[in-house]
Amino acid sequence: MENDEKKYEDVIKALNSLQEVKAPANFEADLQRRINSEKFSKEEKKGFWENIFLPSKLIPSLGLVAAAVVIFFIVDTNPEEMDNPFLIEPRVREDVFVIAEYEELEQKQEEFSKQKSLKKNEPIREKRRDEDKLKSSERDESTIENIKIEGQRNSLEGKKELGRESGDVVDVLTDDKDLPEDKEIVSGAYAVAESTIVDSLAVPQPTTATVTSSELVTGQIITKEELNFRQVQLTEEEQKTVNELKVHVQSVEKPNKSQK
Amino acid sequence: MDIKLRELSDEELILEFQKNNTEAAFNILVQKYKNPLTNFVFRFLGDYEACADVVQETMIKVYRYKDSYSSVAKFSTWVYTIAGNLARTEYRRQRRRNIFSINDYGEEHKTYDLPDESYRPDVITDSGIKDEIIQKALLKVKEAYREAVILRDIQGMSYEEISEILGVNEGTVKSRINRGRAQLQELLKGIYKE
Repeated sequence: MENDEKKYEDVIKALNSLQEVKAPANFEADLQRRINSEKFSKEEKKGFWENIFLPSKLIPSLGLVAAAVVIFFIVDTNPEEMDNPFLIEPRVREDVFVIAEYEELEQKQEEFSKQKSLKKNEPIREKRRDEDKLKSSERDESTIENIKIEGQRNSLEGKKELGRESGDVVDVLTDDKDLPEDKEIVSGAYAVAESTIVDSLAVPQPTTATVTSSELVTGQIITKEELNFRQVQLTEEEQKTVNELKVHVQSVEKPNKSQK
Repeated sequence: MDIKLRELSDEELILEFQKNNTEAAFNILVQKYKNPLTNFVFRFLGDYEACADVVQETMIKVYRYKDSYSSVAKFSTWVYTIAGNLARTEYRRQRRRNIFSINDYGEEHKTYDLPDESYRPDVITDSGIKDEIIQKALLKVKEAYREAVILRDIQGMSYEEISEILGVNEGTVKSRINRGRAQLQELLKGIYKE
């Protein structure tokens, strides 16, 4: 620290040698005057509320209040006017007051309910009609197809008469192998035959159902009794015998084919 | 009464003024501090009229806010702190005003360095002129360093008092004083050669 003071000795001397600047002669008088003027101004100063409620300053405050009131009425937050609920008159219900007697009211209600029910039923009836139409059109189509199948079948039967000595059931079973070109037609016949067997075995159904299935095959009405095979549930022994017969027939037919 | 008051220390006088609102005590303090404060503020600002205003403002603040003085601190420290704050505010205001007044005549956002024609080493004979040169050199020293140098080398205050007035620790005060002195030495080279 002493070294620093030695280092800057000249600067320190120069600063120390500066003449002292004195305050102006009227310093104290001026100060007193300023202090007094501040005191006076303090006394003159009035509070915030006093300023507001001075008569001369009431004008802006009143203006402000008036503006606030106007804004309040112009900018209405609730656009719908709220009526006093105690002063509102009740609504006049004409439907109650026009009908004088109870009977008339009942009659009207009945009429109204009838009209309603009619309106409700109309679409249902239309639906039923549509369904019936659809069913009839499907039947027509199926009968046409069945007639075609029957015609084809007859022509096939004419061709294959010679080779058929055993029953129709066996014929049908063997036809599947012998005539692959007519497979589709014969398989259709198989399906019908099998369906009739299953139908009869499973649940006894009314004759109308069988009639419809037979129609599919022949295009004519054929009852179950007219069909040329027995509708019996085979036991295991019977099944074996049938299988043996099948094998026998096949074995008989093979040499015939080879001879041809 | 007046004789008794004159025997009191500065702290006792301000306490008397605080408690009993004795204006005589305040007047004694004004008499005692008006010249040292004027000297301090003038060396800082370099403008006598502004300096007188600042000192008067300082005294008015002492008068108005006498209750804010606490007996823990020295009165001189308190009053110099007030004067220093006001002087700094005035100095910055003056500087802003100078910049704006120059900008009014020139391009915007462009400042000019005023040529210092008063400094003429060939005519340094009178002590008054020497004082002026030193004063101008002081005004060129950075604000914070200048205040510390004035308080130390012109007002003759201790480092402790200066640290209290400036609100910084003693180490900072010393470094500021040394840096201010170094700048001054650089600025006053011509005078020493003479």
